[in-house]
Amino acid sequence: MAVLTTDQKMVLDMVRAVSREVLWAMAPEYDRTGQYPWPQLKQLAQLGLLGMTTPEAWGGAGLDSVTWALAMEEIAAADPSVAVILSVTSGLPQYMLNRFGSEAQKKKYLVPLAKGEWIGAFSLTEPHAGSDPASLKLSAQKVPGGWELNGLKSWVTSGGQAQVYVVMARGEAGISSFIVEKDTPGLSFGSPEEKMGLHAAHTCELRFEGVFVPEENLLGQEGRGLAQALAGLDSGRIGIAAQAVGMARAAFEIAKQYADERTQFGQKIREFQGVGFKLAEMHTRIAAARALVLEAAAKKDRGERYTLEASTAKLFASEVAVSVTREAVQVLGGYGYHREYRVERYYRDAKVTEIYEGTSEIQKLVIARELYR
Amino acid sequence: MKFVAVIRQVPDGESRLKIEGGKVDLGGVTMILDQMDEWAVEEVIRLQEKHGGESVVVALGPERFEEAIRTALAMGIDRAIHLVAEGYLDPITQAEALAKVIRAEAPTLVFTGGQQADWDSQALGPALAEALAWPVVSWTTQIELEGETHAKAKHDLDEGAEVVRVALPAVFTSQQGLNEPRYPTLPGIMKAKRKELKKVPVSASSKVEILEQTIQEKSRLNKMIDGKDPVAAAHELVRLLHEEAKVI
Repeated sequence: MAVLTTDQKMVLDMVRAVSREVLWAMAPEYDRTGQYPWPQLKQLAQLGLLGMTTPEAWGGAGLDSVTWALAMEEIAAADPSVAVILSVTSGLPQYMLNRFGSEAQKKKYLVPLAKGEWIGAFSLTEPHAGSDPASLKLSAQKVPGGWELNGLKSWVTSGGQAQVYVVMARGEAGISSFIVEKDTPGLSFGSPEEKMGLHAAHTCELRFEGVFVPEENLLGQEGRGLAQALAGLDSGRIGIAAQAVGMARAAFEIAKQYADERTQFGQKIREFQGVGFKLAEMHTRIAAARALVLEAAAKKDRGERYTLEASTAKLFASEVAVSVTREAVQVLGGYGYHREYRVERYYRDAKVTEIYEGTSEIQKLVIARELYR
Repeated sequence: MKFVAVIRQVPDGESRLKIEGGKVDLGGVTMILDQMDEWAVEEVIRLQEKHGGESVVVALGPERFEEAIRTALAMGIDRAIHLVAEGYLDPITQAEALAKVIRAEAPTLVFTGGQQADWDSQALGPALAEALAWPVVSWTTQIELEGETHAKAKHDLDEGAEVVRVALPAVFTSQQGLNEPRYPTLPGIMKAKRKELKKVPVSASSKVEILEQTIQEKSRLNKMIDGKDPVAAAHELVRLLHEEAKVI
């Protein structure tokens, strides 16, 4: 890995300390109760970690994406639920507002999001429009002074908790992005979905019944919503890939330590080649995944097109997360299946990284298309 | 008012030290702001938040100390003076060099760590007070200013604690329990880059020269508590953890 600058090192030292002392300690409790981790988010907000890459002028810290990705890895290693909330609020709504928003929109929405006073959500998926977002149906009908939104959105991370939603809807000019506030009349939320993992990161349905969105809350150009959302997803995928690396690393570290302590047949189990080789492979795959994440982040920082690299990193890192966490459970044997040892949690959480922000299959479509671009 | 924290950078207590050719090899060791100095930094920031004025961090050590200085700046210290000196200097020589700069700064008070984690020495604070001819309060757990001329402080003694009133300027050294240091915030880290960090080369010769270093190998005590009476055993465990291991 490239040598870190003093700033990057200092940021990571701080993030590591907070992750260890604040997030890691409470992660099992939030996973068990499924409560949205507001106290954790508030603490991260106070430290400026909710708007890491948003420019300082808009209330953020103006960090580069490489530092952001490394910080995401640390946070995900401590609590993957907190990590996905963070990845979404900064990687999607903040990124889109910063890139496509007007001055007034930035002032009103980006600043509180970057300062962490608010959490942001991104709403593209619908019950019948997942991998095929172009088929979305949420309607945006032109009315005097703005639009009226009607329809359903699903799988919205931080749904019901976030104060601001970037919503893609279909109007006369095609798909456009709208900024919708949580307490807008006509907007209601389903109860949090019961999921395999990431219990504290609420995911729910959004129902739009005659939701009025004023003219000034159209984000960017009318009809450009899908392209904007896809640009947002390129950025978001780096965050998810970093989250996957963090989960894999955390599970690997538990397995590595366990293999050094557990003895069977009179020797440490890491001395059995079957376990030692497993650990060697896990380490190698994590290192490779991290390198891909940082390559995508570095390309983004240089201002170059990074769609290919983001999808490559997301595809590989999420597969690594699933395989490494599965192997980690195996290294711990029966204890791995026990909640107290914490690896089973990463195994449950890891699976969704192959699904959200574009399934592995969609990443392959993107990669195959980008190869001939 | 002006508050000064004197800080040092030391190896992280969790890193594994190696000896190479009779000397400690710091290559590959994570270096951090000495934890007891971190309490000093936090206290200086709190005093400034409460009473206004300026906070300054002063450090004497090699170039690499800059990282620890930046951490103090990121936590909220206003500016820094780095006396740059490579190689080992004994605490008395360090105190003399630090005293010159601190006298010129004319602060209300100086705070530093109660103990220097790398040398396991408690000399720097008292030696600094001696060089400045100022009073010293060691192992401070509480401090309260009484105007600009005096401070009331509580500090630990071997067998207890005492509360003293001390004429300022004075040197205070930190003790566990003084405060809970804040994390540097991201904006704080970004701002730290733009804060003044003055470098002053120092050419002092150490009165003590280190000839050889070895690492003490500590074997486990393997202390076993008789568990026949669970209540007595629990009391004994608490006593050992508190009095001998000093972890609770």
